[in-house]
Amino acid sequence: MGVLTHDVFFAKLTELFIGRRAKDHGAISLTQKRYTHGQALPPPSPENPFPELHLDSPVPLLIRATNGKGGEKKAKKVKLSTLVEPADLEAFYSRYAEVCKTGMAALKPRDRTKRKAKAKKKKVGGIAQVV
Amino acid sequence: MPYYEKSEDWLQQSALLLQARPSTTRITTRYHLKLARRRTKAEKTVAPDTTTITPLEPTTQATKPPRGHLVLKTYDPASGTALKYKTSKAAEVGRLVQMLGTLGRRMAALPEVAVVPVVEDAGEGGSGVQTPVPAEGPPGGGQAGGKGKKRKGKR
Repeated sequence: MGVLTHDVFFAKLTELFIGRRAKDHGAISLTQKRYTHGQALPPPSPENPFPELHLDSPVPLLIRATNGKGGEKKAKKVKLSTLVEPADLEAFYSRYAEVCKTGMAALKPRDRTKRKAKAKKKKVGGIAQVV
Repeated sequence: MPYYEKSEDWLQQSALLLQARPSTTRITTRYHLKLARRRTKAEKTVAPDTTTITPLEPTTQATKPPRGHLVLKTYDPASGTALKYKTSKAAEVGRLVQMLGTLGRRMAALPEVAVVPVVEDAGEGGSGVQTPVPAEGPPGGGQAGGKGKKRKGKR
């Protein structure tokens, strides 16, 4: 699949997260890196030994997402990718955060029941001692 | 291949690695689920010599839903440096994606904007509010990359 627009990318990424919920295992990988394809950098010289460190203008980012299916399950592999222009970075990442937050639902929620459970335990213990 | 205890440490070291090798370094975020299997004491003691305990396992697995984990990994294939951070807390996701954003700015070769994340460890989880604060130090973009890379490789 080619490079997607942000809207399509986020829609498909949400789908990917939801699709994972059908099973009790699985993984989703998200990758980001500098998009360097088709860029001709000047060859390193004594004056400028690392041309990649001194770019004239900002470069886009490449964001990829996959469900990590390979080998026998390669037919089920989903690969998404999108390019983020430097100007769109902030808008992209705020949307990205929202999608990730809703998608990664199996992470540990903030524990609000701890205190309650403790109190309950004490109570039960007390009763047990009395009996 | 260290796992950092704090996400801030991971962010700082990743930023250094990106400064040294901005065009080869990539950041992978892996979200995966594992079956939660908490072994009871009885299971632990009996398990090695008998298999009679096996019928218990499905019930324990059925009661506990699988737990998600999130692993952030900054990897530079050119130097073989990998920096990792692992968490299972939902409250951290917002903050971590924000970190990905700050590192993304470095990747895109944009000038640094010091966006200090609001400390939300104890507070409300995941409301990624940002407060722009003027940069403290000079944006160290123009340094040769060799030093930072070597130092990190050893860890």
